[in-house]
Amino acid sequence: MGKTVIIGLDGVPYHLIDNLSNKGVMPNFKNLKDKGIFKEMESAIPEISSVSWSSIITGVNPAEHGIFGFMDMIPGTYTMSFPNFNSIKAPAFWQTMDGTHAIINVPSTYPAKPMNGFHVAGFVALDLENAVYPQKYIPMLEELNYRIDVDSEKGHSSKELFFKDLHRTLDARQNTALQLWDETKWDTFMFVITGTDRIGHFLWDAYEDENHEHHQNFLDYFKRVDEVVGSITNKMSDEDSLIMISDHGMGLSETNVIVNAVLKNNGFLELNDAERQNHNHIKANSKAFALDPGRIYLNKEGKYPKGTVKKEDEEQILKDLTSTFENLEKDGKKVIKKIFRKEEVYSGPHLEQAPDLILLSNKGFNLRGNLTKTEIFDKDIFTGMHTQEDAFLFVKTPKSIELPKNPKVTDVFPIINKINGDT
Amino acid sequence: MKPCNANKTCWNCPAAMLKGNVDFRACGQSKEKKRQLSEEKQVMIECSRRKELGHFEPTITFEQCPEWELNENYNLYMLKNMRVMILGLDGYLGWALALKLGKLGFKVSGIDNYWRRDCVMEKGAHTVVPIQRMTERLRAAKEVLGIDINFRKMDILDRPKLKEFLEETKPEAIIHYAECPSAPYSMVDVDHAVKVQENNVLGTLGLLWLIKEVVPESCLIKLGTMGEYGAPLTGRPIFEGIFPANATLKWDDREWSLGGELTPRDPVSFYHVSKVQDTFNCYEACKYWWLRSYDVMQGVIYGVHTEEVAADPRLRTRLDMDEWFGTVVNRFVTQSILGMPLTIYGEGEQLRGFIALDDAMQCMVRLISSPPEAGQYDVVNQVSGLIRVKNLAETVANVAKDFGINTKIQRVENPRVEADKHPLEVISTKLPADLGFNASITFDAEIRKMFELLTQPEIKARIEEKKHAVMPKTRWDGVKQESESFETYDPGTKNLEDGHKGVLHTK
Repeated sequence: MGKTVIIGLDGVPYHLIDNLSNKGVMPNFKNLKDKGIFKEMESAIPEISSVSWSSIITGVNPAEHGIFGFMDMIPGTYTMSFPNFNSIKAPAFWQTMDGTHAIINVPSTYPAKPMNGFHVAGFVALDLENAVYPQKYIPMLEELNYRIDVDSEKGHSSKELFFKDLHRTLDARQNTALQLWDETKWDTFMFVITGTDRIGHFLWDAYEDENHEHHQNFLDYFKRVDEVVGSITNKMSDEDSLIMISDHGMGLSETNVIVNAVLKNNGFLELNDAERQNHNHIKANSKAFALDPGRIYLNKEGKYPKGTVKKEDEEQILKDLTSTFENLEKDGKKVIKKIFRKEEVYSGPHLEQAPDLILLSNKGFNLRGNLTKTEIFDKDIFTGMHTQEDAFLFVKTPKSIELPKNPKVTDVFPIINKINGDT
Repeated sequence: MKPCNANKTCWNCPAAMLKGNVDFRACGQSKEKKRQLSEEKQVMIECSRRKELGHFEPTITFEQCPEWELNENYNLYMLKNMRVMILGLDGYLGWALALKLGKLGFKVSGIDNYWRRDCVMEKGAHTVVPIQRMTERLRAAKEVLGIDINFRKMDILDRPKLKEFLEETKPEAIIHYAECPSAPYSMVDVDHAVKVQENNVLGTLGLLWLIKEVVPESCLIKLGTMGEYGAPLTGRPIFEGIFPANATLKWDDREWSLGGELTPRDPVSFYHVSKVQDTFNCYEACKYWWLRSYDVMQGVIYGVHTEEVAADPRLRTRLDMDEWFGTVVNRFVTQSILGMPLTIYGEGEQLRGFIALDDAMQCMVRLISSPPEAGQYDVVNQVSGLIRVKNLAETVANVAKDFGINTKIQRVENPRVEADKHPLEVISTKLPADLGFNASITFDAEIRKMFELLTQPEIKARIEEKKHAVMPKTRWDGVKQESESFETYDPGTKNLEDGHKGVLHTK
């Protein structure tokens, strides 16, 4: 019976992989593309890796798996928590599907938990010791100089060192994957490259601008990514199935939009003075606050320590917020593309935890949850931002399965299921 | 009034373990584990006491956190069953603090190598207040106060053993009293000087490395001394270790900010030099490794009383009268009981900061319960009053009268190299203003308590037995001879108003 291989390329949009494979930068993918089905895929809402990968591996939406962003709040407080694999309320496919699984570098799966097979967690994974199951593999990973992630500090300090680190991390990850491929028994093999997202954040401009000093370096990195993909797919037999995915797309970030600054300037949010501001300093009369990227929460009575928004007033405040953001413009351009109420996009037992409104921005507007800034628009060194509608899905399988017309991240789990023959 | 530490947060809490830095803007985690203050990069912690919270930002206040409970007597949040290790637990301060903390519900552990006992024996003296062997002390603490103290006989320089003990007890605060506290001892000869610096400097340096390795979140509270600063003749204020933000240096028609820099040190013995070196080592360790530390610049300590040591004769803490380890007030009281004149050095115009034992212990409880932020080296000047040595002698002589003892005062050659006359302006605002310290013991009251205890026949006999050890013989110039007397006078016969007055800022 054929095996299933899943390769994830974090933050790679459909159009990039399509473009670079057509241009000859990614010949292995070009070769694959003609033999399978290659489609655009919708990311999660919001289009954040932790939310998206959680949906990919569980097949359910955030109101079922409970992950709404990189950060959330400890219930009953304004203290920001960072949900991890312990916080996911739905099982990952390798926890429920039959067979043995090798899972490498899937984001938001730290700390690793006992399972049938091998697991090394991806970003955010705070130490190797708790990122690996079974722990007997730690010496092997250390021997291979395995690295959980690129050191993001390098992206700030030196682009040259950043590239060096991207390659070093990718080399180690590839060596690890190939060694595990050979040395362990598995039925499903999932391998995610995350450097693709990091390079996008720091150097998307280098991709779009052919004259950028790092344009060639950017292409060379994707060439290496393609080689790594090839080194895995070349080991597959015709009976095996391949799924390739990204968790979200990427595009040029032109302006940051500080959502809390919009709330402050329009009287929805007020903070007490403090040396080091955090959400504990939200004043009781505040009606709403935002978390990254565009999640807006009503400061509800009974839900938050200083919550004052009463149930009967919620509808009006939601309307006021909606109209505020609908009208938000910069240089005549509308900032917000869509505003969702939670019921429109989520369903499940954790709906109450969900943001009350979720903003999706227009192209180039990068939504931020920064609490202290007062200016609505600013710019930082990041030139790439996540995009929601253009993740990708590629499936090549000898099995006869039908793909959804407009796939979403939650569809990946059922596809794995079908390929593996489960129902 | 709201407890002074109510608004402190996980940034200050030793239960908050740094797990990493994440820059979510780049979906990137940093390789370095730093307690960055940048709002753009998230610091992730895990609470060693509340694992169920997972990873979170360090913003829960002591007031919000159920692990910090309000102690109404102190009006202070205290970490439930906080694990505190006292290095030098057998000493004058270490023992009194162990009992105080144990009584308050802290989980106390500690080490001591009994060096102090050995040194005093070397001098041919003994503690005038009798103290028990450690096994007996521990038994009495359990019997009388219901306190369990996890004690190991250990030298601070024995790093492998200390490491093991730190790993076993995982202290959330470490009180470092395991230094030789004697200036004269360090001036006896080269062997004594080397021994003091070896123990103090290398002991502290080794400790810092062990903290980094085993308990980096723990707060090191190290006993410094006001003597590190010296007594500048210019009268410039003695700040709390670090220049305030608005301090400036002017020279050559130019001006620079000194804010945040360590203030000058002017140690007055090889012992004081060791304390200065410790200061720098702690300062650097906080900077390199994001450790947290309080340097407690303690004034001259005196007294015999805390509620806990007074609870049973077996619980008493030591009190030394000899020239090496007896602090000035403690020595004056024993001299008075011996019928000897109180010996003041030179003109006796030296101004010093003082603090009574029980007040010092109160300060320590407050410091333990209000740790600095990780990465922060902080300093407090722990004094409750400034007084000239000759005025102090008068106070002791006056109290002695009430106990039927007539005491004279004697001016002797100063065995030390120090200014006899100098101004002194001390800033000591952090403990009273920020940490809720309220000095509750007056000189007069504590000295009275000392006379009450030390005139008891058994103790008086112990004082008389070691009469020979009280006079200063250790001279900074190395000459082996006792200081000679200039004059002996009756209290009340000198003008006490002349000369420099100490200025203490507590607000």
